[in-house]
Amino acid sequence: MTQISINPVTRIEGHAQVLIDLDSTGNVQKAHFKVVELRGFEKFLVGAAVEEAPRITPRICGICPTSHHVASAMALDQIYGVEPPPTGKALRELLMLGQYIHSHALHFFMLAAPDYLIGHEASRGERNVLGLVKVNPDLAKKAIEVRKTGQRITEAVGGKPIHPATAVPGGMSHHLDDAHKSALYDMVKGSLAIARDGWAIARELMEKTDITFATITTGFMGLSNQGTFSFQDGSVQVIGADRTAIGSFRGTEYLNYIEEYSEAWSYLKFCRRIGGEYYRVGPLARLNLVNRMGTPSADEALKEYRAKFGEFVQSTLAYNIARYIEFLWACERALQLLGDPIVTGDKTRIAVDTVKNRRGVGIIEAPRGTLIHDYTVSEGGIIEKCNLIVATCQNNYAIDRGVEQIARGVVANGTLTESGTNRIEMAIRAYDPCLSCATHALGQMPLRIQINQNLEECRR
Amino acid sequence: MKIAIEELAGCSGCTISVLDLHEQILSLIQQAEIVYSPVIMDVKEPPEGIDIAFVTGAVRNEENQERLKTIRKRSKKLVALGTCACYGGISGLSMLSNSVDIFRCVYQEVETGKAGNPLPQEVPSFLYRTFAVGDIAKVDYYITGCPPKEKYLQTILPALVKGDTVQLSKKSVCSECDRVMGSVDKWHLRRRHEGIPDREHCLLGQGYLCLGSVTFGRCGAACPHHNIPCQGCNGPSLDILREPCRDIFNMMIRRIADLTGIPQKSLEKEMYDVAHVMYPYTIGSLIMEDKEISHIRDLIKEGSSQ
Ligand code: SF4
Ligand code: SF4
Ligand code: SF4
Repeated sequence: MTQISINPVTRIEGHAQVLIDLDSTGNVQKAHFKVVELRGFEKFLVGAAVEEAPRITPRICGICPTSHHVASAMALDQIYGVEPPPTGKALRELLMLGQYIHSHALHFFMLAAPDYLIGHEASRGERNVLGLVKVNPDLAKKAIEVRKTGQRITEAVGGKPIHPATAVPGGMSHHLDDAHKSALYDMVKGSLAIARDGWAIARELMEKTDITFATITTGFMGLSNQGTFSFQDGSVQVIGADRTAIGSFRGTEYLNYIEEYSEAWSYLKFCRRIGGEYYRVGPLARLNLVNRMGTPSADEALKEYRAKFGEFVQSTLAYNIARYIEFLWACERALQLLGDPIVTGDKTRIAVDTVKNRRGVGIIEAPRGTLIHDYTVSEGGIIEKCNLIVATCQNNYAIDRGVEQIARGVVANGTLTESGTNRIEMAIRAYDPCLSCATHALGQMPLRIQINQNLEECRR
Repeated sequence: MKIAIEELAGCSGCTISVLDLHEQILSLIQQAEIVYSPVIMDVKEPPEGIDIAFVTGAVRNEENQERLKTIRKRSKKLVALGTCACYGGISGLSMLSNSVDIFRCVYQEVETGKAGNPLPQEVPSFLYRTFAVGDIAKVDYYITGCPPKEKYLQTILPALVKGDTVQLSKKSVCSECDRVMGSVDKWHLRRRHEGIPDREHCLLGQGYLCLGSVTFGRCGAACPHHNIPCQGCNGPSLDILREPCRDIFNMMIRRIADLTGIPQKSLEKEMYDVAHVMYPYTIGSLIMEDKEISHIRDLIKEGSSQ
């Protein structure tokens, strides 16, 4: 068996391969998205004092640690039988907004944009954020600026820009003082201006979007607060591939909707709906589930998005535009929240003591999609069972099929050009996959594209 | 000057911490060329002739080990960047059970899994344990932190790129903490989530297992500052690293005993979940495990025999 490998596929978080099997004529027989890392958090959290979970689980992912931190703290609220006070809730929301701004800006400007702004035909060494610094230094600076705003919010509210620590059962451990609040307000104002201007770039990409690229028809899942965009309020809505409402859930009810399966060739689990229908999560899903964003510029952008793609969008590359709209929303929402005196309130937290409920489920929309932390604990607050459902497992099937579709188009006579490679990577990158999250990974391997050709067959 | 960033078993947070130099990264890339960093760019293999390689993450599987060997060969200086690379980090906790049990749990036993789900086989195997980078390859510099903090990277990275060395604090988290010791008359152990600690007094003095005294600083005591006990994410303090008879667990016990007058033996009995509370970032480190008095060996044995 010949294995031609292109290794690693890049500009995504984490490590995996694409395996392309060729038939004797050099055409694609099948292709898979294969993830080669596993860490096993679900196992090694068993036996842990449950209050350590909000500190340990952020280490699943250095790009979206806040989502794990907050989902974990939400599960703990239930276990200790408390609701955080309004200021505690507002600070958690602000913390998540910091994450959305950083994570979406990172993906849009630094990881995905080089494909559009520098192009497939550019050399490998140029097609990245450092190349962007050369071809469009002004845009690169703006990208740095907005991502910095996100990280500064996380640092001020969470204690640290990466792996925040302040979400505790019952609320937040730290209050935000006026000086920090005003500094953040000014930064967010600047970033919002950049985000509004940047919509012109996103719109241009939108106009050029190839809506047939790596398409797949699936159902969708995501939070919606009675039709308004939200990453924390409301219930998770489930819709079918034809847009029919399937149902909605909170807490442990997720078990009525989601099942996981595995394949011998990947560490990354696959999620699907019980009954077998596939679904996707993340920006595309969330925008398919809401009527409005709830902030002015994002709502304007949503209108344009719908004028281009329609009300119900299956197109994979629309993820990138949907992500931008969420980024715009996050800047607007952060500015609103920072203008509200509630964020500087003193009462950030309610004291907790002993376990009130043996099980807690935290559900939140991470930048990449629905995230569920489900812990069962002993009366003494030691974890007995743990289940983590992360975005990329839920998108795994769609990524896998998208890869095969693109591979069929770009592999010719058993060869894969560099721009073809990048096209396959783009199908993956659209989902902004986070493989550390997805496998809560143990040992990682870069995403590599590998072509397997059966030599035996060729010789015949 | 050519620099590279390699990712092993970690969370990419250390690479993000380099991006968190923000606008300073622009001047850094004028002095140094980033030739390889899979998270941010498309170069597929580390080239030859790297001047400084930053390695983030621990070594958990065969692939990590191979990559580490390759990048070591191709670079003049190797920097272990972050606590995973320096001490194994969170990935080390996976040693609390064996890999078959991890697989069964993740694919079959979780409530959304199914008993019939296949276990991955055509994937790289785990090594028999987690290793820190320095357990396997020669390391020229260690930069601890989960991840290292912006303020220090701002000083360290430009200096490294120029070939200079800088003198930085080597003190513990306590030395950076603004809390004062309060009364310890009624000291009793509290879980880290219980009650609401006051902002003025030492958290350890208030009964919380704050690892500040046994943890290397350079985070500005970020957690105690935000009213959260230190969990030790910068790795062990210098005295623990240097002295064979000092270890995280025994130094914590000794410190509480000195503070409160409670006998060490009875304190030891009160401790709970030592693996996740005391060793979450160092359990994968051979150096830490090899200490005569370390509890890591017992914790691993206990865990994997369950
Ligand atoms: S040291 Fe911390 S931030 Fe760095 S890779 Fe490890 S877990 Fe992530
Ligand atoms: S033990 Fe913790 S709270 Fe006390 S001085 Fe040290 S770092 Fe500060
Ligand atoms: S205080 Fe402790 S846990 Fe917090 S960042 Fe510093 S070393 Fe890490």
